[in-house]
Amino acid sequence: MNTIDDAALIEALRQQMTKSVARQVAAAGNLANVDTPNYKAVEPTFADALKGQLQMAAPRAGHINPGDASKPQMREIKDAVARRDGNTVELDRELLTMTRASGDFAQAQTALAAKFKLVRYAINESK
Amino acid sequence: MPLDPLTLSSATGSVLNRPKAGGGAEAGTGAGATASFGEALGRLIDGVEQSSATANTALGGMMDKTTDVHEAMIALQREELSLQLTIQIRNKLVSAYQEIMRMPI
Amino acid sequence: MATLSSAISAAASALSVERTRIEAAVSNLANAESTRSVNGQPYRRRDVVVRAEPVDSFSAALGRSTATGVKVSAVVEDQSDFRRRYEPSHPDADKNGFVSLPNVDAPQEMVDMLGAARAYQANLAAIGIIRDMVAKALELGKG
Repeated sequence: MNTIDDAALIEALRQQMTKSVARQVAAAGNLANVDTPNYKAVEPTFADALKGQLQMAAPRAGHINPGDASKPQMREIKDAVARRDGNTVELDRELLTMTRASGDFAQAQTALAAKFKLVRYAINESK
Repeated sequence: MPLDPLTLSSATGSVLNRPKAGGGAEAGTGAGATASFGEALGRLIDGVEQSSATANTALGGMMDKTTDVHEAMIALQREELSLQLTIQIRNKLVSAYQEIMRMPI
Repeated sequence: MATLSSAISAAASALSVERTRIEAAVSNLANAESTRSVNGQPYRRRDVVVRAEPVDSFSAALGRSTATGVKVSAVVEDQSDFRRRYEPSHPDADKNGFVSLPNVDAPQEMVDMLGAARAYQANLAAIGIIRDMVAKALELGKG
């Protein structure tokens, strides 16, 4: 199926928001522990590829699709350099992650809001 | 099986703009047409109830911090769309019914 | 799944921890030359012991994921040796003319203090970013 229908698109946007939240939560935890000895910075991993999501059938009505994004696994950031106290958190990296996650979230939110508005218009204005 | 308003509204053109059948065709398939209207409306109402329940659960989750805010808001929007679509279709069905009732036998 | 509000709690927990670290550094710097504190001994450097902790221990116990915050587990006295300086004229000099001075390394305290201040600022900024995200999410619920 080549066309992306409304329901699948909305689901994909919802997943993008959920993933951004997971990244934000991980970054916040890392940032809070920038001075904790031996703390290892973590990031979420998502099993699915976003492309796969767009092709999936529309979710059942009203069902909040758990998908793969709702239970992300946290893993230690690869190739992280540890300081003398064993801590691998880099302040600037975490702040950058947060800014990006926030941007992705806002982007998906704007698209979703517009999509809902269009669908609502289509429902109400059909003669 | 409840109908998802978003899937349905992708085909909204065909659902809400269903052409009014001519008198003869309508009479002949009257019973069949009523049955499928009833069935479709029933499925839509199931859809509204389900999306309403999902939204309530999500909003409850948002308030005790176990569910993300965006999940709850999306569930709310889906509930609203589900309701709006059902109301629109009900209105169309009612006016189609009234139209048919006005037709001379 | 851990929500944005638990992320805010994590950042907030860091604010109080970093403030405690700054206070310890300030105390250490202020007392770097105190050869006689309340117990008659030279001042001992204050060390803040910090530990990661899930923001919501109840949820964590239930197996639900929650953001990782931080907390001060203790403020202890650094037990490393005092510095010794030869200064026979000092009122607290021992019979060999040496004075025991606090085990405070002023430059290190400055570094720690600046690091804590930077971490404080970063976590404060994080709270703002996350709060804006929540506001954006709420907008989805409007008309």
